[in-house]
Amino acid sequence: MTTVTDHTDDGHHGPEKGLMRWIKTTNHKDIGSLYLWFAFVMLLIGGAMAMVIRMELFQPGMQLSEPQFFNQMTTMHGLIMVFGAVMPAFVGLGNWLIPMMIGAPDMALPRMNNWSFWILPFAGGILLSTFFMEGGAPAFGWTFYAPLSTTFAPDSTDFFIFAVHLLGFSSIMGAINIIATVLNMRAPEMKLMDMPLFVWTWLITSFLLIGAMPVLAGAVTMMLTDRNFGTAFFDATGGGDPVLFQHIFWFFGHPEVYIMILPAFGVVSHIIPTFARKPLFGYSSMVYASASIAFLSYIVWGHHMFSTGMPVAGELYFMYATMLIAVPTGVKVFNWVSTMWRGSMTFETPMLWAISFVFLFTIGGFSGLMLGIVPADIQYQDTYFVVAHFHYVLVTGALWAIIAATFYWLPKWTGKMYNETLAKVHFWWAVISVNVLFFPQHFLGLAGMPRRIPDYSLQFADFNMISSIGGFAFGASFILFTYILIDCIRNGKPADARPWEGAKGLEWTLEPKAQYHSFNIPPTKVLIEQESQNS
Amino acid sequence: MNEQEYYIPSGTYWPIIGSVGIATLFVGFANQMHGASWGGSIMVFGFAILVFMMFGWFGQVVKESTSGKYNSQVDRSFRWGMSWFIFSEVMFFAAFFGALFYARQLSVPWLGGADNNVFTPELWDGFSATWQQIAFNTPGATLQSGTAVSVPTQLVDVWGLPALNTALLLLSGVTLTFAHHALRADHRNKIIGWLVATIVLGVLFLGFQIAEYGHAYHDGLKLTSGIYGSTFYMLTGFHGFHVTVGVIMLTVILYRVQKGHFSADNHFGFEGVAWYWHFVDVVWLGLFIFVYWL
Amino acid sequence: MTQIIIITIIIAILIALGSGLLGILRGGSAGSDKMFKSLVIRVALSLFLFILVMFAAFIGWIEPNAVMMDAPTLK
Repeated sequence: MTTVTDHTDDGHHGPEKGLMRWIKTTNHKDIGSLYLWFAFVMLLIGGAMAMVIRMELFQPGMQLSEPQFFNQMTTMHGLIMVFGAVMPAFVGLGNWLIPMMIGAPDMALPRMNNWSFWILPFAGGILLSTFFMEGGAPAFGWTFYAPLSTTFAPDSTDFFIFAVHLLGFSSIMGAINIIATVLNMRAPEMKLMDMPLFVWTWLITSFLLIGAMPVLAGAVTMMLTDRNFGTAFFDATGGGDPVLFQHIFWFFGHPEVYIMILPAFGVVSHIIPTFARKPLFGYSSMVYASASIAFLSYIVWGHHMFSTGMPVAGELYFMYATMLIAVPTGVKVFNWVSTMWRGSMTFETPMLWAISFVFLFTIGGFSGLMLGIVPADIQYQDTYFVVAHFHYVLVTGALWAIIAATFYWLPKWTGKMYNETLAKVHFWWAVISVNVLFFPQHFLGLAGMPRRIPDYSLQFADFNMISSIGGFAFGASFILFTYILIDCIRNGKPADARPWEGAKGLEWTLEPKAQYHSFNIPPTKVLIEQESQNS
Repeated sequence: MNEQEYYIPSGTYWPIIGSVGIATLFVGFANQMHGASWGGSIMVFGFAILVFMMFGWFGQVVKESTSGKYNSQVDRSFRWGMSWFIFSEVMFFAAFFGALFYARQLSVPWLGGADNNVFTPELWDGFSATWQQIAFNTPGATLQSGTAVSVPTQLVDVWGLPALNTALLLLSGVTLTFAHHALRADHRNKIIGWLVATIVLGVLFLGFQIAEYGHAYHDGLKLTSGIYGSTFYMLTGFHGFHVTVGVIMLTVILYRVQKGHFSADNHFGFEGVAWYWHFVDVVWLGLFIFVYWL
Repeated sequence: MTQIIIITIIIAILIALGSGLLGILRGGSAGSDKMFKSLVIRVALSLFLFILVMFAAFIGWIEPNAVMMDAPTLK
């Protein structure tokens, strides 16, 4: 594979015209954009639900929603953010960036790529349509534990189950595509250890997706038959066990959290070296740490179930295995900090997001360690401490990295520069409000406030009000974010091909607005080594 | 097509047709389960769209492949795609095998009083924690969903149809290997003969499996027979579905062999389907041993 | 003991099957050879396992799984 042309089947060299371009497209950039816009719309919908939750919790007492509706809000907020916003956003980033980073013209299986996106709007539509059904949307929490989701759930649960099936198909196809792309479409001269970290982390994430998503499909299939065909998987009366559901769910669920954070690690590993103007510290240890985290993620699911009943030996095993994850994660944080050490740092917007990622994700990581200790977990279980923990890792972790990536690669996507001043205002607004929103929730949890309730006793009032105010401010920050994006696309000043002085990576060698098919001629060995993070 | 060029396929309508089909199928199915009279027809309609999509999509790929548009890189991408797709199937079955092991090794013994659960069996009057015949002496014992538990009157006879079926399916693995060998040695007539034998054995397996379901159902072993019935039917049912898909794919391969689509050293379509069949075969062996014996 | 042997053979079959998949992945004539050989091994092992299970059951080493699972209770 040494040379040449942009050779599509029907001789098209650029995009088709009109709506059909988006429906028929096999282009990784088109599909990446579709993913990103879908994720953004879902983020806003899920965010609106979070606003309803925070409004209800603004004061003690019932303000504006029935308890059942409140539960629908927490459930759907979680499901939409996990399956509709964060995962598609990372697949979108992967689609856009991976072919450019490995010197390929496109993804390996472009038609399947199209299908894995075009399943999503249907799945999202089915999921959202449950709101309009008799009995309302699912209200059993995003973890849909049996028997809440089997015996005591509304009819709409079956639609939810099928939506999860569809989202699973989509993710599996997306993951297969990324594996095939990375391992088969990579520029012939590019060694595995020359691959950028975002590519590495996405490759590892793909293996997590392929291993975990089918198990989720199995879990919801068992739910479906328990609900409709009289099986007894999760029903002790027939010899089954509701705890079995939790085992299967978390066997999926724990890899799932790393599915949402590993690509984020990749993004941050690009941004920090760029603005520290130093090569990434410990490239290979980053790769090995990602792989160890992925492996460990398959064998620690029991730490979500300490208080649901498990033999003591099991609890001890899951506790120690969980502690073990702190080691590779610590390696990563250490490497990011060491990369910044004595670097000539500048603080452009992507760097601000990346540095705050390191800070805030580490807070979330530490509260995770606290939750991983069995005796302590029995206290924290199902309180706002858990809510604070996973919002620190998912909002200031995963979402932060997505926003950082958006600012970092926006010039390459659009060929234009965003408004740096506004973007900095947006950053400080978001980073302050998000801490006002989530930090007090640690205290609420330690004081004993349970999660997933619409009303609470009076001693929790102050912190809840502070948290809600932070929540509204954080929600409003997305209006500014939307404006910055649209302003960049419409009126942005033309950007350079390499808008960041210290940036490395093959994607910066393309035109300012990356051409429709990235690399029709594979990059040379010299170029690859010049742009490699491993130096 | 030139080996030196990247190949990027043209856009098609098949993916969006597939999405519409699968969404229609699921929405119809859900409504059917909720008692809507029209649900079933919508579901069948969705399935028809899906079948149309598969024929169209795969047909287009086969056509592009035989007209020489693909190069070895495209071929490798297909290999990667197929392999990891099957791996995801392995994980899907793993979820159900996991449920089987958990129920057999943990939840049912616990319900019977194992470990520190001595009082558990006292929760239901006259409950006995047997593996195949979860039994309640209380008449009219129901699951939480309100379904009456169907207690089988007889144990599954492992020496009869299940053993025969295992032999049939293993034999189909052997005949497929002969077909594979014939293909590699370029003996066209032998390939067709062995492939036909494999397909016949697969169809026989499915027929006997239906008969076996009839027997089991007659003896009262149903989906509603507690965890044994649940795992038995879900595992064998999903397996049967995969055998059906495998038979269809083998038939397509047979057709393509007759058309001369494969050569002794380039036959990825055959290899992919053959591996799928071997996988389905191994799943059955696991089923036979874990569901019926160990 | 018989159970351990049976499970070991199952694992061996899975390994052979997996190595066949790696053969498909590799492609070319080397991959094709690897795949074919692995699958021959997996078919042979499967047949052997089936005969072993039937024989073990016939001799009475293993029994079909219909066991009672009641541990001693307070009854």
